[in-house]
Amino acid sequence: MWRFLIVNVLTLMLAGAEGFTFVLASPVASQQFQFKSATFVFRAEGCDSTAPQITATAEGIVKGERKSVELKVASGPKPGIYAVFQNWPPEGQWLVNLKGACGNMTAGAIVPIGPKGFIRESSKILPRPATDNEIETTLRTQGGKK
Amino acid sequence: MLPLSEREVSPEIIASCRTGDRDALRVLFDTYKDRVYSLSLYFFHGDESLAADVTQQVFLKVITNVDRFKGDAAFSTWLYRLAVNACQDAARRRKSGAIVADRARLEGFAASSSQEDDYTRAQNARCVRDAVSALPPKLRMAVLLRYFDELSYEEMAQVLHCSMGTVASRLSRGHKMLAERLKGVTGAGG
Amino acid sequence: MFDRHVNTQLASYLDGELPAPERQRIERHLSSCETCRIECDQVRTGLSMVHALPLASAPAAIWNAIEAATHQTHSQPAWFRYRIPALAAVLTVAIAAILYLTLGHRHQSNWDVVGLQGSTAVDSKPIRGTSTVKPGEWIETASSSSARVQIGAIGVVEVGPATRLRVTAIRPSEHRLALARGEIHAKIIAPPKLFFVDTPSATAEDLGCEYSLKTDEDGLGLLHVTLGWVSFQWKGLESLVPAGASCRTRPHTGPGVPYFDDAPEELIQALGTLAATNYAGSSLDVVLRDARVRDTLTLWHLLPRTESPDRQRIYERIAALSPVPTDVSRERALQLDPDTLARWREALAWTW
Repeated sequence: MWRFLIVNVLTLMLAGAEGFTFVLASPVASQQFQFKSATFVFRAEGCDSTAPQITATAEGIVKGERKSVELKVASGPKPGIYAVFQNWPPEGQWLVNLKGACGNMTAGAIVPIGPKGFIRESSKILPRPATDNEIETTLRTQGGKK
Repeated sequence: MLPLSEREVSPEIIASCRTGDRDALRVLFDTYKDRVYSLSLYFFHGDESLAADVTQQVFLKVITNVDRFKGDAAFSTWLYRLAVNACQDAARRRKSGAIVADRARLEGFAASSSQEDDYTRAQNARCVRDAVSALPPKLRMAVLLRYFDELSYEEMAQVLHCSMGTVASRLSRGHKMLAERLKGVTGAGG
Repeated sequence: MFDRHVNTQLASYLDGELPAPERQRIERHLSSCETCRIECDQVRTGLSMVHALPLASAPAAIWNAIEAATHQTHSQPAWFRYRIPALAAVLTVAIAAILYLTLGHRHQSNWDVVGLQGSTAVDSKPIRGTSTVKPGEWIETASSSSARVQIGAIGVVEVGPATRLRVTAIRPSEHRLALARGEIHAKIIAPPKLFFVDTPSATAEDLGCEYSLKTDEDGLGLLHVTLGWVSFQWKGLESLVPAGASCRTRPHTGPGVPYFDDAPEELIQALGTLAATNYAGSSLDVVLRDARVRDTLTLWHLLPRTESPDRQRIYERIAALSPVPTDVSRERALQLDPDTLARWREALAWTW
């Protein structure tokens, strides 16, 4: 019982701790018409001092072959809000791997993509860039679900 | 005031822009971006988001209309006409009628962009920004265009679609109002 | 001899913009007019004050946004360029939309119509292949027929079977259709407040990319958005419908409350019952019970359509699903203060 409580308190503390992180959403959250055809938009939170360095790649499996596509992260008039547009082929399983750096803080996200856009429930927000193992596991899981 | 040659892009750059040359478009953007942004920023009382939005709109229009620029006036005159129109359109679209200087933004902006180490001069800059924000829109635009974009009276008349006499009158009234508002700051007499 | 005051010319005098004779006239006047001398000092002071303003640096994000708007991509590996993804086609329309809106020198007065299947009539005349349609003219498809309308440079509208559709405006600042009955599927890339579709009970203002809209002649309709978002409006009542959501519209009451298509079936049904009973009744219990975090889309739109104590219950449920931002006051939200509700919607949209 006590272990259960301690684990939950620690989890809450970690969740509430300040740090650099991404918040994902559908394009409607940006309210910027330039982003309405984006696959998803995201906010970079917790980076107050400088503009964060953010990169994105689309990682996928097409007909059994592993693919990787460098993506451009678009920023709009509202600071801190970014968009990712689909720049990968429509076939195969894909996810978007976000990596961010703000000073000596890092952030990451694995964003699986489905037929209707990004899959929020399966997306993982990380305090650091995703590992290769995490990416491969997610792609295998996506392929298994099809 | 800078000589025209130092504040204009070359005809070759404009010709390249017409062909969609992205590098040339970037040069054009880099040449004018700060002045267009500053004009919008001070016109909209330090609203960085709106200033960025207006600046983006201006350059999108420039990029998509550069082939309509015929060279019968200075390129900057044509550009600033787009900038003034964009500011006026944005002002009309703004929901809140009362224009209130956003002190928090203006002060934050002073801290981040002023290169002056002298605290007193930085304080004065903040007061001047507040005073400019409080000018009536037509006088504010004339003052900002003259100062940031270094347009001649003739060019300003073309940009603002008015006579040179009106430009002179607006600048006279605008600067006089600034001096009156800033009397206590600098000890300037009235 | 009367010497008029020179106060309106002081800036041009100090700026050195006056020809010599005029400058000398002003100097003579200043030597004898204390009022203008004082004012000249003021203008000189104001001119010097402005020099305290620093030139602001335009954020780098502006160029990124311009590139995003014109969708210039960096060079990519050739292997996947063999097939144009749907986005590239959409981007092409986006660039065409910007060109169309800003060039303006080629003002279209009609749109192209192509019959895809079966028979299509424009202004009661059957068309063969491609035709054009002007403002005021009707497009009508028979049952089992379909057509496509090219909406200038901003997109296309697919016209479904048994549909009657009128072109009401083709202007640089307004492209407008009126759907009398039937179904259309629109794929549009345009800035806000350019493309509109009127139905008997609501107007869809395109803020998004792709949606289908159907209505019967009595005004009972359904909007479904697949990409982007659409504002569904009627007499000041607005429903914001994002991708993956739908919204019904009813005669005399306008757009209903939007809901996500993957919402629990019981919630969707309860919403339909609520709409038919003017948003009062026990069906609200089902909506509140079954709402997930993203169903705050539905709950937020219910706020202005309900009265106390239901409105309070809806507020509490939204707050339980998603933390209320600190700048959203409970009291003002329940009073339906527009700014408060707008800020709340902006925050909630990150969960939709």
